[in-house]
Amino acid sequence: MSDREPTVIAKTVTRMVVPIIAVTAVALLVQGHNLPGGGFIAGVLTATAFVLLYVIYGLDTVRRTLVLRSEGYGFLSGPTESYARAFAGGLAIAVTAGIAAVAFGVPFLTQGVVFVEDIPLYGELEYASALAFDLGVYFVVVGSLLTIIAVVGKE
Amino acid sequence: MQPDAGVLVAALALPFVAALLVPALFRVLGQKVAFFAALVAAGSFGLLATQYGAQGAVQLPWVPSLGVTLTLYVDGLALLIGFLASGVGVLVFTYSYGYMAHEHGHVKYYATLLAFMGSMLGVAFAADLLALFVFWELTSVTSFLLIGHHQREAASQYAARKSMLITVAGGLFMLAGFLVLAFAAGDTAAGRTFVLVGTGESLIANGDAVREALRASGLFVPALALVAAGAVTKSAQAPFHVWLPNAMEAPTPVSAFLHSATMVKAGVYLVGRFRPLFVPDLPAVPEWTFLLATVGLVSMTITAILAVGATDIKELLAYSTASHLGLIIAGYGLAGAEALELGAETGAFHILNHAVFKATLFLVAGIVAHEAHTRKLSELGGLRRDLPVVAGITAIAALGMAGVPPFNGFWSKELLFETTYVVAKANGGLFWLYPAVAVFGSVFTFLYSVRFLMLFFGDRPAALGDTDIHRPPLSMLAPPALLAGIAIVTSLVPQVAIDIIVQSATEASLPVGLEPHALKLSIPKLFSFTPYLGMSLLTVALGAVTYPFYDQLHAGVRRAREVPVTSPNWYYDTLTAGANPVSRRLAIAVHGGAFRTYAAPFLLGTSVLALAGYAATDAVPVDGIGAVPSAPLVFVLGVAVVGALAVARAPSHIAGVLMLSILGFMVAIVYILANAPDLALTQLLIETLVLVLFLLVLDKLPAYYGEIRTRSRAVADAALASLVGFTVFTTVLVATSASPDDPIYEFLLARAGVPAEHGPFFADHGGGSNVVNVILVDFRAFDTLGEITVVAMAALAVLTLVGMRARTEAGANEAAERAPAPDGGRPDAVVEAADASGASDAGADHDATDAEGGDAR
Repeated sequence: MSDREPTVIAKTVTRMVVPIIAVTAVALLVQGHNLPGGGFIAGVLTATAFVLLYVIYGLDTVRRTLVLRSEGYGFLSGPTESYARAFAGGLAIAVTAGIAAVAFGVPFLTQGVVFVEDIPLYGELEYASALAFDLGVYFVVVGSLLTIIAVVGKE
Repeated sequence: MQPDAGVLVAALALPFVAALLVPALFRVLGQKVAFFAALVAAGSFGLLATQYGAQGAVQLPWVPSLGVTLTLYVDGLALLIGFLASGVGVLVFTYSYGYMAHEHGHVKYYATLLAFMGSMLGVAFAADLLALFVFWELTSVTSFLLIGHHQREAASQYAARKSMLITVAGGLFMLAGFLVLAFAAGDTAAGRTFVLVGTGESLIANGDAVREALRASGLFVPALALVAAGAVTKSAQAPFHVWLPNAMEAPTPVSAFLHSATMVKAGVYLVGRFRPLFVPDLPAVPEWTFLLATVGLVSMTITAILAVGATDIKELLAYSTASHLGLIIAGYGLAGAEALELGAETGAFHILNHAVFKATLFLVAGIVAHEAHTRKLSELGGLRRDLPVVAGITAIAALGMAGVPPFNGFWSKELLFETTYVVAKANGGLFWLYPAVAVFGSVFTFLYSVRFLMLFFGDRPAALGDTDIHRPPLSMLAPPALLAGIAIVTSLVPQVAIDIIVQSATEASLPVGLEPHALKLSIPKLFSFTPYLGMSLLTVALGAVTYPFYDQLHAGVRRAREVPVTSPNWYYDTLTAGANPVSRRLAIAVHGGAFRTYAAPFLLGTSVLALAGYAATDAVPVDGIGAVPSAPLVFVLGVAVVGALAVARAPSHIAGVLMLSILGFMVAIVYILANAPDLALTQLLIETLVLVLFLLVLDKLPAYYGEIRTRSRAVADAALASLVGFTVFTTVLVATSASPDDPIYEFLLARAGVPAEHGPFFADHGGGSNVVNVILVDFRAFDTLGEITVVAMAALAVLTLVGMRARTEAGANEAAERAPAPDGGRPDAVVEAADASGASDAGADHDATDAEGGDAR
């Protein structure tokens, strides 16, 4: 795969499709409570966007252009470090979302729903605390999948 | 007086909390952390002292949903062990400051020793069997670390392993015994319980019923033997005494603590604690006596003889410890109407006396080794001119150990003689062996005690030469001096010790409802002759007559020890050494590196177990089989089947993986047809990702694609594949045909959405119209948390495994060129793995990582 450059068509399509995938993923994450979607699906979809970039543009381009922190130690260097941070952070978010319930005096991981009235344009808006937990799921899935792909891909 | 739960928990928790603080405090205090540890031990001692005189149980909820409580029980015996552990702890920590000054690993040493002390307190005060077992094994684990303190030395490693293997194995027997007891109690009116003592429903409170239930099921003797196995291994009774002399590899303060006052005392404590459960208030001699009194007396004699054969001062003390523990177990073991109380008195009093004189002697041994730089008996002698105070201390302790009237050990040994005598007199016949063996063993006790004392008397041997022997620092001298003071008081006025603790500790080992009489001992009693006083005097006389022949005896014992067949050490070494090649061969057999060797038994086992389960429960429904699915579904499934067949016939990895993904995408369409958009979306995405991942790793696989070489293997593979398919088919049938009366989906559907009337905030409904997602993040959020943790762990594992491999292979680049599998690098393993991947898709994943594992750039 590596000795042949992808075609211009592939590159251009990827360039256009990846942002769409990313937005779709975020939409799936946010709407997950009421429509098909959720943190897990959104996470996997985000990972496919990255995989598309990897396949078409290669590891080095992704590293140069997308990932801000590229220092790191040993096998944790490069984007892998960011991915590892993502799944660690995601796990922290999910656990924090659970512990927050304990702070309110209800059992671990109890979720609540708040309806906020009188918001311009939207009127009534429902916010489920489960979204915070789902966000954690999202980051764990994205981080873990990309870590595995980056590590295996680098070999 | 009822014990205070808060104080008890604080006393137990204090050492553990302090152990956690040790690393931080060591940075600030340096070696003075020893005094912090001593302070902690003193704190626990003080907290326990406030409970002095209390008796009863306190219950703390532990796992309330399972009805498990942590029950702590306070009585004389628990306090005796607790005071010994924390009190001797104070002295040992103080002593360690001087002793450990030039050693390494202070943080590990003090933290582990504190944790050990806490575990020991837990053993003493835990009243329910499960907590007792946990603390019991904690003492084994911490003592493993302490015995192996010099972790780089082979002898320490051997010693730590040996003590761990023997005591933990014994502990597991004990656990089995506990389970038998708890289940036997289930047949009684009080019901199943793990609480041993203290509550109305406890095993001991219903001792008669429990004994009856045990006898009815024929489990009385097995339960007794299992519990006793825990005690005799922990307390180093023959033939399990072999770990104790090796354990002397530990730093001497550890030996003084573990092998005088604590660790080994856990075993005798257990015997004392279970005595009321197994010993009925009957005139007959119970099984308890046949087992424990015999084991105790035989061990006492054998290990006393072995102590005479010791060449090292700590080895001598180790055998002597096993011998005195034998005495205690024999005391507790002797029962029957006449000996019921005497036996308990013997045990309780000797626990105290032995701890006092043996801790003193270990500390003295540490001083000698520290100052004279040798522990060889033959190289030591005449030290009284250099260490006069230590010599005085040793004289008090050693004479107590010898059982010379009126030193402290004499009083409790006298009780043993009395107990054996009355048992023999009441039962006659072979029971006269008990007093005879007791006297015979005690002669050797006298011999080695005097030999130890002679370190300080006689002439300085030439080997010691002009070695300049310093006086020990105060922190090393004060602890044994204090203990010797206690020994003196107990010697001259034994009644003090009896009144303070021994009497109440005795009562803990008596059957419920027995009215105990008060034990009275005093010096004037020595002037009225009794048969047992005669036994004591006979012991001393025989010992004095034999002592001149000590060297011949010593040589004789050493020769006898060399005979392999009678040496438990030989069995231990043969067994452990023999186990090595067996386990190596077993590892190669079950861990061959070829994917086939893992997959075939696993799949076969799972299928057979699942099918057997269905068959046993008649779970397989037959009514759903005739239903005809819709035309689109038939078409999609048909394509999936074609894809599956194509996987099996694919000529290369790449083609196989692509065919496999056809199968996956068809499954996604099935989900769409079944109105499950969430599942379909997930399946599609995962299928895409897995395809990419496969293609990435397949690049690194050898081009060779598995060939089925023999017909028999083809038949076996096909049979296995069919069996797995059939199992999955049956499982789906079983799972989908279940129709419980109160299905959970009704609850989920009712609670997932927004309720018709609601306020601005609510937590009892999910508030989402996507039930699948609400289940994932709300109803079963705890499961999801577990799952994402697993996902994160998998990523972490890939990261570290691949990363670590890159590091280890950095130095062996040439070897990596040949692309061996990481596990042993056998080329045929790769071939086998590739071969198996054709049969199952999970196989492709696994062996792909296996095979590319060795390939580094």
